[in-house]
Amino acid sequence: MRSEQEIRDSLRSWVLTKAADRDSAAITDQTALFEERYLRSVHLPELLLLLERLRGAPIDVEDLNPGDFRDIDSMVLRFGNAGATP
Amino acid sequence: MSTSNVPKAQLAEALASLGPTVSRLSHLSQRSYQNPYTELQVWPAEVRPEQEWFSSPEYLSLYGTEYWERLDEPTRCRLAFHEAANFYSLNIHGEKSLMQGLAERLYRKDLLDVSEYLHHFLDEENKHSIYFGGFCTRYSRVYRSRQFSFEESHDSRPRDIEDFLFFAKTMVFEEIVDNYNWVQSRDSRLHPVARFINHNHHFEESRHLIFGRRLVTALWEACAPSWGEDTVAELRGYLRQYFTASWREYYNPDVYADAGLEDPWEIAERAWSAPAQREHRREVSRKVVGFLISTGILDKEPADAF
Repeated sequence: MRSEQEIRDSLRSWVLTKAADRDSAAITDQTALFEERYLRSVHLPELLLLLERLRGAPIDVEDLNPGDFRDIDSMVLRFGNAGATP
Repeated sequence: MSTSNVPKAQLAEALASLGPTVSRLSHLSQRSYQNPYTELQVWPAEVRPEQEWFSSPEYLSLYGTEYWERLDEPTRCRLAFHEAANFYSLNIHGEKSLMQGLAERLYRKDLLDVSEYLHHFLDEENKHSIYFGGFCTRYSRVYRSRQFSFEESHDSRPRDIEDFLFFAKTMVFEEIVDNYNWVQSRDSRLHPVARFINHNHHFEESRHLIFGRRLVTALWEACAPSWGEDTVAELRGYLRQYFTASWREYYNPDVYADAGLEDPWEIAERAWSAPAQREHRREVSRKVVGFLISTGILDKEPADAF
């Protein structure tokens, strides 16, 4: 089971690979990733797969809200614990 | 939705130039019009996933990886069965989005020149899904898709850009799928139902691929000069990522779990990164990437997908 910090680090590292042309220091755990266009909708399937792998449990796309992916904090809160309802 | 500053006459002229292609493809579609409930006359009452091949082994997501050597023959066969269902499922999900997009564009004023063929396109995609769904619901299941979107993802774009991206994504998706169909339709090791589904899809898709290439080229040539460098760079980045999103669906942890493999997410990640699989994706994508680069739509290959 991964720690919360490991999940945060993995998410940040993945976001940076997708936004390689942006200033990495500017991305915090509160950065609005879609609103500030670090990520686009076309990144969502890969992001979802990463979140499933980090938590070790599936995520049902029919139960998702845009706010779940707003920033790293939101994703950790929503998906960080595999025991949470996906 | 707004439109960007593409000259309308230029776009109309580009679409009108497709007239002969539209007529020829429509004629071919009428001539080979199918009834999906009778074309495949007998669905077997049951199948044997551990004894009959439903996918070509060389096209499985674990082929050439560290895992492949460890699997015994029945497990390889079972994996091939679930990957066939996954392949059909990703086609179903892809065709659902495609049908939505085609229906939205049917008889739109500026697309009247291609509406005749959009009817066939829509009809044929629905029929393909009947075959794919027929297999999945009889013998396996429809695997879930991880492709989703939401309005708040700040992707709102002018209509001409949306049109271009819609048809370009459709073309990428279909060209990759068609390579699998072509190879698997000729593989005599496969169960007759699997060969039929792959053959039938390849036969029908060959028309869609011609239409897709012509339309994407026409839209690009008419619109790209007006889009500006930043927009073009953004579209290229989007299309490159679309290759990754599309290919990721072929490495489905749900499939590995159904095949009885431990730690399915780790398997998906390691298989994705395996050199043999990266080369496979590059080779299967070669034709469509070559087309996109030769037309100037992409300026470099989608390296992240390989």
